[in-house]
Amino acid sequence: MTKVQKVSHTNKTPKKGLMYQIKKNKLAYGLIAPALVAMLIIHVIPIVSGICMSFLKLNQFTLNQFLKAPFIGFDNYKEVLLDPNSTMRSGFLDAFRNTAIFSVSCSILVISIGLLLAILLNRKFRFQGLARTLLMTPWVVPSFVVGLLWGFMWQQDGVINRIIVDVLHIMPEKTYWLTGPKVLIAIMIPTIWRTVPFVMLMLLAGLQQIPVDYYEAAEIDGANAWQQFRNITLPLLRSVLSIQILNGIINYIYSFNIVAMMFGHGAGFPGKYGDLLMTNINRNSFQIWQFGAGAAATVIVMICVLSLVGVWYKIFQNDLVVND
Amino acid sequence: MKTQKLSQIKRRKDIMNTLATVVVWIFVLLALFPIVWMAITSLMTQGDIATGKLGTPSHFSNYSEMWKNVDFFKYFKNSIIVCSATTAIALALATFAGYATARFKFPGSNIFGAAVLATQMVPGIMFLLPLYLVFIKIQDMLGIKIINTYGALILVYSAFFIPFSIWILRGFFASIPTELEEAAIIDGCSKLGAFIRIILPIARIGLIATGIYIFLMAWDELLFAWVLTTSSDVATIPVGIRLYVGNYQNRYDLLMAAGCVTTLPPLIIFFGLQKQFIRGMTAGAVKA
Repeated sequence: MTKVQKVSHTNKTPKKGLMYQIKKNKLAYGLIAPALVAMLIIHVIPIVSGICMSFLKLNQFTLNQFLKAPFIGFDNYKEVLLDPNSTMRSGFLDAFRNTAIFSVSCSILVISIGLLLAILLNRKFRFQGLARTLLMTPWVVPSFVVGLLWGFMWQQDGVINRIIVDVLHIMPEKTYWLTGPKVLIAIMIPTIWRTVPFVMLMLLAGLQQIPVDYYEAAEIDGANAWQQFRNITLPLLRSVLSIQILNGIINYIYSFNIVAMMFGHGAGFPGKYGDLLMTNINRNSFQIWQFGAGAAATVIVMICVLSLVGVWYKIFQNDLVVND
Repeated sequence: MKTQKLSQIKRRKDIMNTLATVVVWIFVLLALFPIVWMAITSLMTQGDIATGKLGTPSHFSNYSEMWKNVDFFKYFKNSIIVCSATTAIALALATFAGYATARFKFPGSNIFGAAVLATQMVPGIMFLLPLYLVFIKIQDMLGIKIINTYGALILVYSAFFIPFSIWILRGFFASIPTELEEAAIIDGCSKLGAFIRIILPIARIGLIATGIYIFLMAWDELLFAWVLTTSSDVATIPVGIRLYVGNYQNRYDLLMAAGCVTTLPPLIIFFGLQKQFIRGMTAGAVKA
């Protein structure tokens, strides 16, 4: 609690004690109380029991014992990470690799396309507002519809193959997009298609905060478009970019809806080249009833995400504007 | 000489500008194509879809058949009920908490802020099984039915979308000058009265934006819907829409029609309130 008092600006008499502070802020506690209770019940309790579950032998036979299932220490973790004979390990590692490729590619592509579109929209041209509105539409389509729709379009005799092969003649024959190594592309494109609009919107809002005089002054000094982008746009957009990057990291690693719906409409398996961590863990939990191992895998993924967020914080620490 | 050079520069700028506009419209086409394709297929016959023949999309009867083939209206109604209730509850609770964190510095406020952010880093599947098992235990021990009720989804969704909503609203409230409340308090308003009478009306746009966001997120949720609602009396669209294709039939024509119908409410809400949404979302997000 001493730390809180040190940070506090308004509190000039820290000696008055914690009780006084709490009494003074009765209203604030009253206002957060309902949200806090909801978060405790639906977030904190399940997370704690989820972590406990990762140390238990929890499968279809011990399910009704819940937290009283036999304690097996780190065995679930060993099975997921170390046991060379475990099918769960090979599945997890495949999914881990796919998710890494998927997340890095999506992050780079979504931010680049979103930034490009934001810059292109941040000019005056005819029907500029209409173009922005139409560009937002993919974000409004529910992600499970996105999965169903693209799963249908990627079919071997589907519209994408017909355009690529019959109309544009880019590829000699219609390939299978939903099996084999190409699966990851088939998952990535709909994800990018649906995520770009929102990132574009946020970056556009960030761009509109940059005063036009900066660019005018740079132009007078003879800076070309690239120099203006590097020295004005990028630095002033860092805080907005940093939030979108963080959002991306979390969303891509945890992405589930589109992939799940594309393959067997929620029941299928995208194959070893396309399985992502969340679909993998979901199958282990709800199709082969390995709840303990599923929980262990989730905890491992969470630790990875938390470390990435830590790295993100180190990089963008100074760009986060605290508006207190 | 000089004017010639200047006009040359201007010409090059015009060309670049036109080029940029063309690129924008190419992206618009890419963004719209899948949606248009969904609409076209929803008006094709089952046979035309199977053979790949591109007939005139005029098979409007798909839109009447889709409600009969699967009792889609039930799922649709359930989604509307669950998402509206979720939006109302989550928005109310997040508004209070968002205001408190934006305006008050109290013992524990930093921890609360960190906790709000930390919840965003936990995947849904981490909650799913423990919640499911806790709900079953409550049913066994106390006799309260939770699974397969609207309450289960509304409770889970509300709590689920509260932290993110707090985060958006906190930024929005922080952007409103404190002088407004101070003046109201001098005029005899209580702190709570100042919040409700002065700040809430000003924050209207932030509330609308957050509400839209919550509704769209809830409309989109499927993992919990699959597990917590199995009976068609309470199940939402992500559960019902899967019945058009799969084990028993392959009605892509009806699936696409259902997809269009499912996309319609978010589309109407978003385009109807687009201005408020964009202003509300970006006011908090740019600053935060």
